[in-house]
Amino acid sequence: MKNTTLKNWVEQYSGTLLRRAAYLLSDKTEAEDVVQEVFVAAFSSYDSFDGKSKPLTWLMAILNRKVADFYRKKYKTEPSIKLDHFFDESGFWKNNDVLNAWNVSNAEAELLDNTDFIKIITDCIEDLPVRWKIPMKMYYLEEKKAPEVSQELNISRTNLWKILQRSRMQLRECLEFNWFIKL
Amino acid sequence: MLKKLMNIMFLSCCEATLLMEKRCAEDISPKENFRLSLHIRMCKWCRIYQEKLEILDGILKIKFFQDGKVNINQSDIQLLKDKVIKNLNI
Repeated sequence: MKNTTLKNWVEQYSGTLLRRAAYLLSDKTEAEDVVQEVFVAAFSSYDSFDGKSKPLTWLMAILNRKVADFYRKKYKTEPSIKLDHFFDESGFWKNNDVLNAWNVSNAEAELLDNTDFIKIITDCIEDLPVRWKIPMKMYYLEEKKAPEVSQELNISRTNLWKILQRSRMQLRECLEFNWFIKL
Repeated sequence: MLKKLMNIMFLSCCEATLLMEKRCAEDISPKENFRLSLHIRMCKWCRIYQEKLEILDGILKIKFFQDGKVNINQSDIQLLKDKVIKNLNI
């Protein structure tokens, strides 16, 4: 029974899990390793699956934990995040490009219908360092609360804010130059 | 000049943008929130950045982006399935 169920899950959910892992880790080989670990964990803790949630939800939760394990092992020290690209010594904006108007009235709907924009923002996100990208993606993925993410990834709350701040600064700049200025 | 003065007296733009992240995640103290609101009211740069931050936040919340750039094809998935089944011996 357990073997048959597991086999079905492997058959049904491997693709979804692999895509999610590859999205979070930005690396196919690492993603494959993580998904294998997910199924090993699911196999050994099968009895704790009570069937109240959907199997995929349960497997995704394991996947998130495994990605967090991976992150903690890879980045053992707290990150140092520099903002000197954006701010001078007094903490004031270095460049005026932040003042450019983004002429979007119904921002989300309008932009998300545009395949060129989708491509550019995906590139901008993927250009972020993996060390920042993983927390940012995890934060947005499940609309998690910051305390959860910082705990899972073992980074201080302050550093999580700094990672989000730094990543968003870079995203803003990337979109500014690759999209909004060209409009 | 006034901007610089304001930075020193209240909050720098660098600090303000960090507080924006906290506010966006609804994890900001009333005191921080007050200082941030004051700063935004007086600083055009941060006011515009705040608007952009909200746009970005809205966009990032949409699940549509969750594809990334790693290309996964059917044969990758099949290989993985075979590996897992062999590994678990099921």
